[in-house]
Amino acid sequence: MTLDTRTTVRARTATITLTGDVDAASASVLDEAIAAAAVSSPRRLVLDLNAVDYLSSAGLRCLVFAHQRLGRGVEIVLAGAHPDVAETVRLAGFDRVATIEDQVGG
Amino acid sequence: MTAHRLVVDGLGAPSRLVAGFVSALAACAGLPPRQAYRLRLATDEITTNIAVHGYRDRGGPVDLRGRVEPEVVRVCIEDEAPPFDPTGHDPAPRVAAGPTAVLGGYGLFLALRSVDHFAYVHVGGRNRTTLCVLRCAAGG
Repeated sequence: MTLDTRTTVRARTATITLTGDVDAASASVLDEAIAAAAVSSPRRLVLDLNAVDYLSSAGLRCLVFAHQRLGRGVEIVLAGAHPDVAETVRLAGFDRVATIEDQVGG
Repeated sequence: MTAHRLVVDGLGAPSRLVAGFVSALAACAGLPPRQAYRLRLATDEITTNIAVHGYRDRGGPVDLRGRVEPEVVRVCIEDEAPPFDPTGHDPAPRVAAGPTAVLGGYGLFLALRSVDHFAYVHVGGRNRTTLCVLRCAAGG
């Protein structure tokens, strides 16, 4: 499955809505979306994961990239992650740098 | 007992081929979704690691064989890259230093922890990594 992204920026919150799998074949798509969102200097980056069924270590590296690109002061939120995806994030300790929320705006 | 096989050339990210392979295997075994996800994750991470680091993106054969057994689903992955034992390179200490402290190692970290049994042997000039998940996971 390919990965599609849609980005909206409102009140200095950039929301990237993902549809598909985040794996080694598709992670560059997310990196590009993060780089584009960073141009607006957001204070908060929300990744809407409701339509993401799979996230591998390539997706975790995107989160590292986001953290480095946006800087420490920017909150990164993972919203609507499926339980398996959330478990992968927690297993690797990424819940220490990103906030996991049940839903966008939740 | 049913058998599935996938051979990839180790060029580019094999994630989608692996996804289809594990999906078919999981369906055949009637694996619960969580077990199927874990098996896919470990198989994807190991196969991608072989392509990127073992063959250094120059390609080489990666032979995946899946088997449904009464208690477990087993995936055996063989490659001809230089010998590499993932169990001897657990990146846990580096990962514990903080998720933004390191850029690499998450793939092996996840693979080693996603399955119920992980084994490695170097035999006949090939790396052989075996991944197993229980068909009915204890505790879900």
